[in-house]
Amino acid sequence: MNYEHCIRCTICVENCPVFRVNPDFPGPKQAGPDAQRFRSEREKAQDEWVLLCSQCKRCEMACPCGVEPAQIILNEQQRYGKEHPQTPAHLLFANNYYLSALGSLTAPLANFIADSKAGKYIFQKMGISTHLPFPKFHFDKMSREKKSLSRNARKVAFFYGCFINFYRPDIGRKIVRLLATMNVDVVLPPQWCCGLPALGNGNLALAKYFAQKNASSLSDYIDAGYDIVYSCTSCGLCVLHDYPGILKIQQGKKIAENSYDLYEYIIKLMNEGYASPQFETVRRHVAYHIPCHLRALGIGYPLEKLLSLIPGLQFEILDDACCGLSGSYGFKKENALTAIQIGNRAVSLIRKTGAENIVADCGSCRMQLSGLSGIPALDPVELLCESLNLSVKE
Amino acid sequence: MSFIEYDVVIIGAGVAGLTAGAKLAEHGFHVALVTKGEPTACLSTGCVDVCSLSDHPLDGIDSLPPEHPFHLVDKSVIKESLHHFQAVMIDMGIPYAGSAEKNRLVMSALGTFKKSCLIPSTMEAAPQHTQESVHIITFKGLKDFYPGYIISRRRNTKFSVYDAGVSTTMSIASRFEEKDFFENFLLWLEKLNIAEDRIAFPAVLGLESAAEIFRTLSMRVGKPVFEIPTIPPSMPGRRLFSALKKNFRQKGGTIYWSWPVVGTEKTGHLIEAVTTFSEGRPKSINARAFILATGSFVGGGLTATRETILENIFNLPVHKSGPRETWFNNDYFSQNHGIGKAGIMADVSMRPAGCAWKNVFVCGSILANTEILKNGCGHGLALATANAAAQSCAEYLSHEL
Repeated sequence: MNYEHCIRCTICVENCPVFRVNPDFPGPKQAGPDAQRFRSEREKAQDEWVLLCSQCKRCEMACPCGVEPAQIILNEQQRYGKEHPQTPAHLLFANNYYLSALGSLTAPLANFIADSKAGKYIFQKMGISTHLPFPKFHFDKMSREKKSLSRNARKVAFFYGCFINFYRPDIGRKIVRLLATMNVDVVLPPQWCCGLPALGNGNLALAKYFAQKNASSLSDYIDAGYDIVYSCTSCGLCVLHDYPGILKIQQGKKIAENSYDLYEYIIKLMNEGYASPQFETVRRHVAYHIPCHLRALGIGYPLEKLLSLIPGLQFEILDDACCGLSGSYGFKKENALTAIQIGNRAVSLIRKTGAENIVADCGSCRMQLSGLSGIPALDPVELLCESLNLSVKE
Repeated sequence: MSFIEYDVVIIGAGVAGLTAGAKLAEHGFHVALVTKGEPTACLSTGCVDVCSLSDHPLDGIDSLPPEHPFHLVDKSVIKESLHHFQAVMIDMGIPYAGSAEKNRLVMSALGTFKKSCLIPSTMEAAPQHTQESVHIITFKGLKDFYPGYIISRRRNTKFSVYDAGVSTTMSIASRFEEKDFFENFLLWLEKLNIAEDRIAFPAVLGLESAAEIFRTLSMRVGKPVFEIPTIPPSMPGRRLFSALKKNFRQKGGTIYWSWPVVGTEKTGHLIEAVTTFSEGRPKSINARAFILATGSFVGGGLTATRETILENIFNLPVHKSGPRETWFNNDYFSQNHGIGKAGIMADVSMRPAGCAWKNVFVCGSILANTEILKNGCGHGLALATANAAAQSCAEYLSHEL
C-alpha cells in the first residue's frame, strides 16, 4: 500500500470506467490514495462509495508511479464489509458458489425460475438487476467429468472456475480436448470458487476459506509435477495476485509460480517445440475484447499470437473499454445503470469495427457485451477448436 | 521463466516510444512495447511543441545551445517527423493543424497564450490577435476552469454556463459522446444567439468521437469554435495517446501493460532481454535491440536521490548539471533549474554515451539537456528523436543480419 507515492497526476482517473459514468464515485485517486491518508484502523470504515468500485484494476495498470488504487480500495471494501450489515445481494453473490452448485443440481427447475416473471420479481426485490438474462445452469457440470489417464510428459491440473463448471461445461470439455491433442494429460483437481466473488462483496473471511481449500488442493498437484492452467482471467488474477497478497495464503507464491493462463501455456508448449498445432482457415471477422483482468495479469495478450496464426481470421484488439459487468458487480441493482453505461461504450467501440463476433477470454465480459449488443460472443477456445477441426460430444 | 522473442523491445509508451515502435513495425520488424503505466503524454495539452523560443520553431532550434539533443537530429528528419505525425493523425481521425514553419498561439485556461507548433485542430481557431471577441462556454461545477481568469485579461470576452449534470472534464467529455445529451446541448447553445466572433470551450468535447463532435458543433453554430486545454485529466492528451497507441497496433506492434522492467540479461556487448517482476514467474522478453523511451522524472525514467540521479532500466550514466546545489534555483518558478538538464547523453546514432551495450538506443525526454519547460520542445523533440532512434535501430538490425 504505497499511497504516499501518488503524485496526483490523475491518469488513474482518466482510466476509471466507473468514474466516467457515475458521479457518485469520486474516482480511484480520491477513493484510493487520497482518502487512505485519512483512514485509521481505529475508526469505523465510513466511505460507503468504495463499494462503487468494480475492481477492474485499470487504475493500477495506468499508474506511472506504482500506486495500486484498486488494492487500497479493495482493502477498504473488506473493512467496510466487515463493519456494516451486508445486503441480501452482497451475501448472495459472495456465496455464489453454493448457490450455483444448488442451481446445477436442480438445473431445469433453477433455470425455469430464474427466467420466470416471479423469479425476476424476487431478484429485483433482493437488489439484483435483471437487465441481462442469467446464464443457464448445467446439470452436467465440469466437475462430473470422468478422468482419462495416459502417460504424457506434460501434466496439467485444470482450474476451470465456476463459470465453466456451472454454466458452460461444454467450453471446459473443449479446453480439455484441445490440450489432449497437444499430448497434455489434463486432470480436474478438487476445487471450489476461487474466492473473488466473496472478496468483491466485502467478505474477506469467506474468500480466505475458499482460497485455503483451493490452495491445499492445487499445491498437492504441483508437488506431483503438474502445471496449473486456468482459463478464466478473473480466477487467474485472484489466484496469482490475491492469494499471496490480500488473502495471505501460505502456498500462494508457489501456486503463482506454477500457474499459467491457458493460451500462455499453449504458446509455451509451442515455443518449446512440444506442440505444433496446424491451424486451418476460419473466415470470420472478430473483435477481441480484452478483459480488464487479463490486462492486470501482466502477461500481455497471449491469445493475440494464436489468433494471428489462424489463416483467414480478421481480428481487432479492443483494450480501451471495460465491459462494465465485473462479475457480480453489474448484477447489483445499485450498479446496474453504471454497468450498462460502461458496457454501451464498449459496445459502440466494437460496433465501429464491423465485427460479426465478439471474442473474449472472460465469460462475464461475453455475457454483458453480447447481451447489450446482440452480437454473438465466442470463447476463444471455440474459435481455436473450429480452426483445428476439433469437436466435442455434447 | 517464460521467454518471448522480438526484434525490438521499446520501453515506455509515451509519444517517443509509440512513434519509434510504429516506425520500426512499419519497416517489418517484430516490435514489442513494454510499459509500467500510462505515459505523461496523457497529462499534456496534446499540443506538439517543437521550440517555443521563436515564432519559427526551426529557427528556434538553431538558437538552442549546442548540447541540446535537437542538434543530434538532421533538420530534414525533424521536418519529416512532423509531417509524418500529421499524416498519421489524419488517419487516426484527430487531425493536427500547423506546420514546422511557424508557431501558433493556443489559449490557456488563464487567458494567457502558449506558443506551439502542431496543435489539435480543435484548438486551431483560438484567437491570434487581441481584437477578436470570444464567448466562453463553461459547465456548472467544473473545477479548475474559471472564465473569470480569461475575462480579466481580455476585455471583449463573455461567458455562459451549461449544466451538464456532471462536473469533471472526464465525465463531461463522456456525456458529449451521448447523442441525446449532445443534441440538447446544441439546442441550448443555439438559443444563446452568441454575438461574439468565436466560441471557446474547455477541452471536454468528447473522447473517442471528438473529431466528429467538433465538426457537428462548428457546423451548427456557424462560427469558429475552439477548445482551451485544461489541467489534467486532459482530454486532448488522452486523445493523442489513444491515437498513437492505435497507430502502433495497426502497424503491427504488441503492447505489454503493467510490465515494469526490473532487470536485464546481458552478454558481452549486448542486452539480450528485459525482465519484469510478476506475481508468478519472472517474465522476460528477448530482443535484438532495445529502445529506451521511459521519459524523465515524472514519466519514471529517472530517479533522483539525495546524492545522485539514476537511470532506472539499464543504470546508464546520467548527465547532471553539477552537484546537488546546482539542481534547483532559489526561485521556484524559474525555468532555469539545473535539474532540467539531467538525462542521458547520446551520440548521433542515438546510442547512450558511455553505454557498454551496442544494441541500446534512447529517445524522448529522458535525453540530457532538453530543458523542456524553458525551450518549449516536449512532444516535438520526442517525435524527432524517436524517428532518429528508430532509423538508427533499423540500420543496426539490418546490418546485424
